[in-house]
Amino acid sequence: MKKDKVAKSQNGGARARFKVGDRVQVRDMPNIFYTRTQNYVRGVVGTIAECTYRDLIPEDEAFNFDGGLEQYYIVRFRQKDLWEEYPFERDTLQTEFPEHWLEPVGH
Amino acid sequence: MTSRPELRRQYDLIESFQPALHVAQNWNYENSGPLYRAFMHPPHDVGGQHDVPVYYEEKEEEQWELNTYVTCEVLGWRGVWNSEERRRRADNDLGYTLYLGMPYYGRWIWAAARMMVDKKHISLNELIDKIAEVRSRHEKR
Repeated sequence: MKKDKVAKSQNGGARARFKVGDRVQVRDMPNIFYTRTQNYVRGVVGTIAECTYRDLIPEDEAFNFDGGLEQYYIVRFRQKDLWEEYPFERDTLQTEFPEHWLEPVGH
Repeated sequence: MTSRPELRRQYDLIESFQPALHVAQNWNYENSGPLYRAFMHPPHDVGGQHDVPVYYEEKEEEQWELNTYVTCEVLGWRGVWNSEERRRRADNDLGYTLYLGMPYYGRWIWAAARMMVDKKHISLNELIDKIAEVRSRHEKR
Protein backbone atom coordinates (compact mmCIF):
# COMPACT_ATOMS: atom_id res chain seq x y z
CA MET A 1 0.00 0.00 0.00
CA LYS A 2 2.71 2.41 1.08
CA LYS A 3 4.96 1.22 -1.70
CA ASP A 4 2.50 2.28 -4.40
CA LYS A 5 2.73 5.86 -3.19
CA VAL A 6 6.50 5.93 -3.35
CA ALA A 7 7.53 6.79 -6.86
CA LYS A 8 10.68 8.77 -6.25
CA SER A 9 13.97 7.11 -5.50
CA GLN A 10 16.88 8.21 -3.37
CA ASN A 11 19.42 8.25 -6.14
CA GLY A 12 17.00 9.60 -8.72
CA GLY A 13 16.63 6.25 -10.44
CA ALA A 14 20.36 6.12 -11.12
CA ARG A 15 21.98 2.79 -11.85
CA ALA A 16 23.06 0.58 -8.99
CA ARG A 17 26.30 1.81 -7.46
CA PHE A 18 27.78 -1.69 -7.17
CA LYS A 19 27.88 -4.73 -9.42
CA VAL A 20 28.34 -8.43 -8.76
CA GLY A 21 31.92 -9.15 -7.72
CA ASP A 22 32.62 -5.67 -6.27
CA ARG A 23 34.33 -5.55 -2.89
CA VAL A 24 32.36 -3.54 -0.35
CA GLN A 25 32.71 -2.64 3.31
CA VAL A 26 29.68 -2.39 5.58
CA ARG A 27 29.50 1.01 7.24
CA ASP A 28 29.79 1.08 11.00
CA MET A 29 27.03 3.57 11.76
CA PRO A 30 25.65 4.21 15.26
CA ASN A 31 22.66 2.19 16.37
CA ILE A 32 19.67 4.09 17.59
CA PHE A 33 16.03 2.93 17.72
CA TYR A 34 16.14 0.52 14.81
CA THR A 35 18.19 -1.13 12.11
CA ARG A 36 18.43 -4.41 10.28
CA THR A 37 22.17 -4.20 9.63
CA GLN A 38 23.70 -6.76 11.92
CA ASN A 39 26.39 -5.79 14.38
CA TYR A 40 28.75 -8.56 13.32
CA VAL A 41 29.12 -7.33 9.73
CA ARG A 42 29.93 -3.71 10.58
CA GLY A 43 33.25 -2.70 9.12
CA VAL A 44 33.77 -6.08 7.47
CA VAL A 45 34.65 -6.38 3.78
CA GLY A 46 32.65 -8.71 1.55
CA THR A 47 31.77 -9.27 -2.11
CA ILE A 48 28.57 -8.35 -3.90
CA ALA A 49 26.91 -11.68 -4.74
CA GLU A 50 23.71 -10.32 -6.25
CA CYS A 51 21.95 -7.02 -7.00
CA THR A 52 18.48 -7.90 -5.83
CA TYR A 53 15.76 -5.23 -6.06
CA ARG A 54 14.87 -1.70 -5.12
CA ASP A 55 12.78 -1.25 -2.01
CA LEU A 56 12.12 1.01 0.93
CA ILE A 57 14.93 1.01 3.48
CA PRO A 58 14.25 -0.52 6.90
CA GLU A 59 15.04 2.60 8.95
CA ASP A 60 12.43 4.54 6.96
CA GLU A 61 9.77 1.87 6.68
CA ALA A 62 10.03 1.09 10.39
CA PHE A 63 8.63 4.55 11.11
CA ASN A 64 6.41 4.76 8.03
CA PHE A 65 8.66 7.52 6.72
CA ASP A 66 8.25 8.25 3.02
CA GLY A 67 11.92 7.98 2.12
CA GLY A 68 11.95 6.50 -1.35
CA LEU A 69 13.47 3.36 -2.78
CA GLU A 70 17.02 2.10 -2.67
CA GLN A 71 18.93 -0.71 -4.37
CA TYR A 72 19.45 -3.85 -2.26
CA TYR A 73 22.44 -6.19 -2.52
CA ILE A 74 23.29 -9.64 -1.25
CA VAL A 75 26.83 -9.54 0.10
CA ARG A 76 29.00 -12.60 0.65
CA PHE A 77 31.47 -12.69 3.53
CA ARG A 78 34.09 -15.22 4.52
CA GLN A 79 32.99 -16.74 7.81
CA LYS A 80 36.57 -16.36 9.02
CA ASP A 81 36.36 -12.61 8.42
CA LEU A 82 33.27 -12.47 10.64
CA TRP A 83 34.33 -14.84 13.41
CA GLU A 84 38.04 -15.20 14.14
CA GLU A 85 37.52 -18.58 15.78
CA TYR A 86 35.54 -20.01 12.83
CA PRO A 87 37.16 -23.35 11.94
CA PHE A 88 36.63 -23.66 8.16
CA GLU A 89 38.51 -21.53 5.65
CA ARG A 90 36.13 -21.74 2.71
CA ASP A 91 32.73 -21.27 4.37
CA THR A 92 30.83 -18.10 3.55
CA LEU A 93 27.80 -16.24 4.83
CA GLN A 94 25.44 -14.13 2.71
CA THR A 95 23.18 -11.38 3.92
CA GLU A 96 21.43 -8.40 2.41
CA PHE A 97 21.77 -4.62 2.69
CA PRO A 98 20.37 -1.49 1.10
CA GLU A 99 22.96 0.54 -0.77
CA HIS A 100 23.66 3.28 1.78
CA TRP A 101 25.04 0.73 4.26
CA LEU A 102 27.85 -0.19 1.83
CA GLU A 103 31.05 1.58 0.81
CA PRO A 104 33.37 0.70 -2.07
CA VAL A 105 36.73 -0.89 -1.29
CA GLY A 106 39.79 -0.18 -3.41
CA HIS A 107 41.56 -3.14 -5.01
CA MET B 1 -6.92 -6.55 45.24
CA THR B 2 -3.45 -8.01 45.27
CA SER B 3 -2.48 -9.17 48.75
CA ARG B 4 0.61 -7.54 50.26
CA PRO B 5 2.60 -10.80 50.18
CA GLU B 6 1.61 -11.24 46.50
CA LEU B 7 2.70 -7.68 45.84
CA ARG B 8 6.07 -8.35 47.50
CA ARG B 9 6.56 -11.49 45.36
CA GLN B 10 5.66 -9.43 42.28
CA TYR B 11 8.32 -6.86 43.20
CA ASP B 12 10.85 -9.64 43.76
CA LEU B 13 10.11 -10.92 40.26
CA ILE B 14 10.42 -7.46 38.72
CA GLU B 15 13.72 -6.94 40.54
CA SER B 16 15.02 -10.17 39.06
CA PHE B 17 14.72 -8.54 35.61
CA GLN B 18 17.53 -6.16 36.56
CA PRO B 19 20.26 -6.14 33.94
CA ALA B 20 22.95 -8.74 34.52
CA LEU B 21 25.30 -5.79 35.02
CA HIS B 22 23.50 -4.86 38.18
CA VAL B 23 24.24 -1.44 39.64
CA ALA B 24 22.87 -0.13 42.92
CA GLN B 25 22.03 3.18 41.24
CA ASN B 26 19.38 2.84 38.53
CA TRP B 27 20.15 6.15 36.84
CA ASN B 28 23.72 5.93 35.62
CA TYR B 29 25.46 9.29 35.38
CA GLU B 30 27.63 7.99 32.60
CA ASN B 31 27.89 4.89 30.43
CA SER B 32 31.15 3.83 28.82
CA GLY B 33 31.24 3.67 25.02
CA PRO B 34 30.96 -0.14 24.87
CA LEU B 35 28.15 -0.16 27.40
CA TYR B 36 26.25 2.54 25.51
CA ARG B 37 26.69 0.59 22.29
CA ALA B 38 25.40 -2.55 24.03
CA PHE B 39 22.36 -0.67 25.33
CA MET B 40 21.58 0.64 21.83
CA HIS B 41 21.84 -2.84 20.30
CA PRO B 42 18.46 -3.83 18.80
CA PRO B 43 17.14 -6.98 20.49
CA HIS B 44 16.37 -8.79 17.23
CA ASP B 45 20.04 -8.78 16.20
CA VAL B 46 20.90 -12.00 17.99
CA GLY B 47 23.78 -13.16 15.78
CA GLY B 48 27.12 -13.82 17.43
CA GLN B 49 25.88 -14.15 20.96
CA HIS B 50 26.75 -17.28 22.86
CA ASP B 51 23.88 -19.64 23.47
CA VAL B 52 23.17 -23.20 24.50
CA PRO B 53 21.71 -25.87 22.21
CA VAL B 54 17.91 -25.93 22.38
CA TYR B 55 15.53 -28.74 21.59
CA TYR B 56 14.03 -28.26 18.13
CA GLU B 57 10.34 -28.95 17.89
CA GLU B 58 7.53 -28.38 15.40
CA LYS B 59 5.11 -26.48 17.60
CA GLU B 60 1.52 -26.29 16.38
CA GLU B 61 0.09 -22.78 16.38
CA GLU B 62 -2.44 -22.17 19.12
CA GLN B 63 -5.76 -20.45 18.47
CA TRP B 64 -4.70 -17.18 20.12
CA GLU B 65 -1.60 -17.16 17.95
CA LEU B 66 -3.64 -17.56 14.77
CA ASN B 67 -6.03 -14.85 15.99
CA THR B 68 -3.08 -12.58 16.62
CA TYR B 69 -1.69 -13.22 13.17
CA VAL B 70 -5.01 -12.43 11.50
CA THR B 71 -5.55 -9.32 13.64
CA CYS B 72 -2.14 -7.98 12.69
CA GLU B 73 -2.66 -8.73 9.00
CA VAL B 74 -6.04 -7.00 9.01
CA LEU B 75 -4.50 -3.94 10.66
CA GLY B 76 -2.00 -3.96 7.80
CA TRP B 77 -4.72 -4.21 5.13
CA ARG B 78 -6.50 -1.30 6.77
CA GLY B 79 -3.35 0.78 6.50
CA VAL B 80 -2.76 1.06 10.24
CA TRP B 81 0.83 -0.13 9.92
CA ASN B 82 3.30 -1.71 7.51
CA SER B 83 5.18 -4.94 8.11
CA GLU B 84 8.43 -3.27 9.14
CA GLU B 85 6.67 -1.19 11.80
CA ARG B 86 4.76 -4.19 12.98
CA ARG B 87 6.82 -7.30 13.10
CA ARG B 88 10.18 -5.71 13.50
CA ARG B 89 10.38 -2.24 14.95
CA ALA B 90 7.46 -2.55 17.33
CA ASP B 91 8.73 -5.91 18.57
CA ASN B 92 12.15 -4.36 19.21
CA ASP B 93 10.51 -1.53 21.11
CA LEU B 94 9.58 -4.08 23.78
CA GLY B 95 13.18 -3.80 24.97
CA TYR B 96 15.59 -6.60 25.58
CA THR B 97 14.04 -8.26 28.62
CA LEU B 98 10.51 -8.41 27.27
CA TYR B 99 11.62 -9.22 23.72
CA LEU B 100 13.45 -12.31 24.91
CA GLY B 101 10.84 -13.17 27.53
CA MET B 102 7.59 -13.02 25.55
CA PRO B 103 6.13 -15.66 23.21
CA TYR B 104 6.64 -14.89 19.53
CA TYR B 105 3.03 -13.86 18.94
CA GLY B 106 2.91 -12.23 22.36
CA ARG B 107 5.30 -9.66 20.90
CA TRP B 108 3.00 -9.16 17.94
CA ILE B 109 -0.17 -8.56 19.93
CA TRP B 110 1.67 -6.24 22.32
CA ALA B 111 2.95 -4.35 19.29
CA ALA B 112 -0.56 -4.19 17.78
CA ALA B 113 -2.03 -2.73 20.96
CA ARG B 114 0.85 -0.25 21.24
CA MET B 115 0.44 0.86 17.64
CA MET B 116 -3.31 1.39 18.08
CA VAL B 117 -2.60 3.69 21.02
CA ASP B 118 0.40 5.42 19.42
CA LYS B 119 -1.56 6.22 16.28
CA LYS B 120 -4.56 7.40 18.28
CA HIS B 121 -7.02 4.78 17.02
CA ILE B 122 -7.89 4.06 20.65
CA SER B 123 -7.03 5.75 23.92
CA LEU B 124 -4.92 3.98 26.49
CA ASN B 125 -7.81 4.02 28.97
CA GLU B 126 -10.10 2.40 26.40
CA LEU B 127 -7.53 -0.35 26.09
CA ILE B 128 -7.12 -0.71 29.85
CA ASP B 129 -10.92 -0.82 30.37
CA LYS B 130 -11.27 -3.47 27.65
CA ILE B 131 -8.53 -5.66 29.09
CA ALA B 132 -10.15 -5.38 32.54
CA GLU B 133 -13.58 -6.21 31.09
CA VAL B 134 -12.32 -9.26 29.23
CA ARG B 135 -10.33 -10.41 32.23
CA SER B 136 -13.35 -10.20 34.56
CA ARG B 137 -15.54 -12.01 32.01
CA HIS B 138 -12.91 -14.73 31.79
CA GLU B 139 -12.61 -15.03 35.57
CA LYS B 140 -16.39 -15.47 36.00
CA ARG B 141 -16.40 -18.58 33.82
